[in-house]
Amino acid sequence: MASLGSDEWRAVCDKFSNAQNLTDVESRKDPENEPFRSKYKARELLREIYSSLKCFAAGDGEEERDGGEEDVFGQGVSGDSPAGLRAAKLGAVEYYLGVNHVDTEELSAGREHLMNGTKLLERCRVSSDNVSLFIHVRNQLGILWAGLDETETAQGFLETAESIYQRYMKEDGTPPTDMTEYFTTEEKLLTHQERTKRFELAYTHTMYYLAQVYKNLGQNERAATYCHSTLQRQLKLNQFSPMEWALNAATLSQYYITKGHYMEGRHCLSAATVISGLAGEVPSEAAAQESETESERREQLRQKRADIARCWIKYCLNLLQDAKKLLEDNIGELDTDRQEELKGARRREEEEEEKGRKNALLFGSEDTFDSIASLEEKVSCLIPLDFTAARAVFLVGQNYVTQAKDYFQMDGFVTDHIEILQDHSALFRALAFFEEDLERRCKMHKRRVDMLEPICNDLNTQYYLMIRRQLMFELAESYSEMMDLKLTLANRQADTQSLDSHTIKKFNHLCSASTKFFQMFLDSLCSPEGKFPEHLEEEVLRPALVARFRVARLHNRLISSTPSDQLDNLNKSLESYKYVVQYCEAHPEAAVVVETELELSKEMVGLLPLKINRLKARMATNN
Amino acid sequence: SQLAASGDSDSIKVFVRVRPLTQGTGLTTDGDQSLCLTVTSPNTIRLLSKPEPRTFTYDHVADMDTSQDSVFSSVAKNIVESCMNGYNGTIFAYGQTGSGKTFTMLGPSELDNFTDELRGVIPRSFEYLFFLINREVERSAQSKSFLCKCSFIEIYNEQIYDLLDTASASLFLRENIKKGVFVEGAVEKFVNSAAGAYQVLSMGWRNRRVASTSMNRESSRSHAVFTMTLESKESINDVVNIRMSQLNLVDLAGSERQKDTHTEGSRLKEASSINRSLMCLGQVIMALVDVSNGKNRHICYRDSKLTFLLRDSLGGNAKTYIIANVHPGSKCFGETLSTLQFAQRAKLIKNKAVINEDTQGNVR
Repeated sequence: MASLGSDEWRAVCDKFSNAQNLTDVESRKDPENEPFRSKYKARELLREIYSSLKCFAAGDGEEERDGGEEDVFGQGVSGDSPAGLRAAKLGAVEYYLGVNHVDTEELSAGREHLMNGTKLLERCRVSSDNVSLFIHVRNQLGILWAGLDETETAQGFLETAESIYQRYMKEDGTPPTDMTEYFTTEEKLLTHQERTKRFELAYTHTMYYLAQVYKNLGQNERAATYCHSTLQRQLKLNQFSPMEWALNAATLSQYYITKGHYMEGRHCLSAATVISGLAGEVPSEAAAQESETESERREQLRQKRADIARCWIKYCLNLLQDAKKLLEDNIGELDTDRQEELKGARRREEEEEEKGRKNALLFGSEDTFDSIASLEEKVSCLIPLDFTAARAVFLVGQNYVTQAKDYFQMDGFVTDHIEILQDHSALFRALAFFEEDLERRCKMHKRRVDMLEPICNDLNTQYYLMIRRQLMFELAESYSEMMDLKLTLANRQADTQSLDSHTIKKFNHLCSASTKFFQMFLDSLCSPEGKFPEHLEEEVLRPALVARFRVARLHNRLISSTPSDQLDNLNKSLESYKYVVQYCEAHPEAAVVVETELELSKEMVGLLPLKINRLKARMATNN
Repeated sequence: SQLAASGDSDSIKVFVRVRPLTQGTGLTTDGDQSLCLTVTSPNTIRLLSKPEPRTFTYDHVADMDTSQDSVFSSVAKNIVESCMNGYNGTIFAYGQTGSGKTFTMLGPSELDNFTDELRGVIPRSFEYLFFLINREVERSAQSKSFLCKCSFIEIYNEQIYDLLDTASASLFLRENIKKGVFVEGAVEKFVNSAAGAYQVLSMGWRNRRVASTSMNRESSRSHAVFTMTLESKESINDVVNIRMSQLNLVDLAGSERQKDTHTEGSRLKEASSINRSLMCLGQVIMALVDVSNGKNRHICYRDSKLTFLLRDSLGGNAKTYIIANVHPGSKCFGETLSTLQFAQRAKLIKNKAVINEDTQGNVR
């Protein structure tokens, strides 16, 4: 090869750095009507570089070889031989040309350049001189093919990049040459540290693109793993902005908890909390009033930390709810046999594993690892099996409720604030399940009512229709639960017939309150003219029929002092049961949605008239 | 009013309008005489894609020769009537720049002339609304009265600007237990006639254009939301009955500019090498979490300003129409396909489930 004279080489290097500058810096200042001006200039320079390189290479009489898919670590020209280096340089120019064309929306030309790049490299073995280029080219091809909806092709390129990286690190691992270094003069070569950093970053991008490819292919679990790896690598390489990283980790925790992986979820959340702390102190209110930037920063930090707190709430809530599901019997009470069984299993597990961590991916650098671990210790990732354990989870959750509410206040963040209250209520509901003392359990439900009822009444009906409906339903159920508890307590002392008037009054009050909220829910479905819809929309079908059914049951349960009141209540009850039955007759698709309720309603429609007639007969004889 | 009261389950309807080919407008699509689509029936459109043509179905498809009046009748008439009955209504215009959004919504240019045959959906809606108001007032023998307020804002780069007060800085979205979602500090103008409403609109529209030159913002890069709040008061035997409703007219940013996740399909988000952070990783994770339903989860990423502001219009007790404008020229194939796909997905938008899964009331 006729080698380039040092002046000529210097000219090539200058062109290259000029092209880089045009692409990365100048192009951002291009006018709207000529958005790619600098990129076109850069393209010209790259073409010139290419022909200079080609021209000198041509003198060497190089052979064209058909390169099939070869093992890039096996045969072929050694990557660090002069021929290998030459191929790498040409390949790099093809790479930059490819990216340039893609940036300027000339996809097929871009693809051709990138494919030329891989062809040039096919003849070479992977070495520290070209491995970075190997990966960069494949990353770009991955992006390109994914853009053309050829996800599998994209996947192929990215997975190749992944395996090249892994094998290189195993077999060589020295800090590889960065592509920019092909076109720099000796004195500008990078440090080992800088080389490593750039190489690792390229591979981080491979992980990140694979995460997206797997998501697009519907392989969620795999995608989540790659998101996790991406986050982990960002942290390790110190390539992240703390708040953004923390939010990503917190969001990932939500993926894990929806899958029931609480250990991983907790780890993500602890890391999110610790890393969000690296974003610095929240500016004081006074500082915020002084400057707009500080005010914006204050807003951002507070909001994002409150968001992370909300992810923690969901963690605690799901843990408690899963525990409840695991432990409840068929009438929704604590199954003590099952509890003992699970406790036994838990003890055995703990002995076997000695609390050893499963080989989960862990976050953290040397500085942050301990803080993350100590935060993790503050809440269990095991499903609570008794009241004490449940209460510990509840308290952590409640603490995050307070934190989240501090930012998401009612005035200004109505929806968010209420969502947090709903979670708080749900936390109480789940905890109440573990409470054996029925009086105290009743008080927990009272707390739910107290926090939700005033808001439900105050909310604008029109703008918060959806939220109000949820609140109405939840309130109706809370009252209903309190009513059941009161009755159970009273029955322990006496049978229903001999309940004292105070208890009856209390019971009837709870019963009516529950009815009121179910009815409110049903009324919310009416048109502005007050007409109940003849056809219930899919998303309200089950709730509406269930509400009707519950109203029927509640009317039936009211304890009446006079027969005429009782008659009235029974008639109302019958009417509602009939509604459920008739609706399902007219709309067969509804029957599947409320199977159990429908069956019971049919039964009651058969039985209630008898009861009503008996009552009527008794009233007639008494008169 | 009959229509509004019936439980018609589609809260979002989609109207596709095909504009005629352009002539001498200076657009790049000028002189392109080959078509990429045909309207095959009043609710289907066939896109001549390769290898197979694709057919899309909507609530209504209007061909090139459709009159402004017929667009108004199919799209806006019912929505305006619903507003009179206390429902909120929203009309979105969507489509690539040059596909006829402004023509459909406003008319050929910003006319102050109300009688023009070519005036768009917005002036016609104003006329019809005030026609209905006046009729109601007359019928009720003055026992009913109406109050109309207008605001006009612009959302650009997730920042909110007031088009009726260009001097103001960017505004915030807030929520209030009584007022719902609102733009804090946005100017509200009282109007009592269609002409008055139109005047407010054109004033704001002009500001939108002014802003686009002085601050180098393009109008097609921003969403503009014109909101008319209608309050009716009726006194019957000393009982005062107040009803509020909102009519939102939304001009969405040109679809070719929209890079949000909902329109992008399977493209990968890139991380340019200089970018320290992988900005969109969160969105990838979010998508993973979103699929797994049933469990309680919190997503840290907020709604876009536009969806938050119009949350009430996407399902629930609101009537919504999306007008998707498309250009028939074959050069516009890509954009037209994405517009048609967006419009089809829009039908699936619904407010989140009414009742949480775990409070669906199990029998005990």
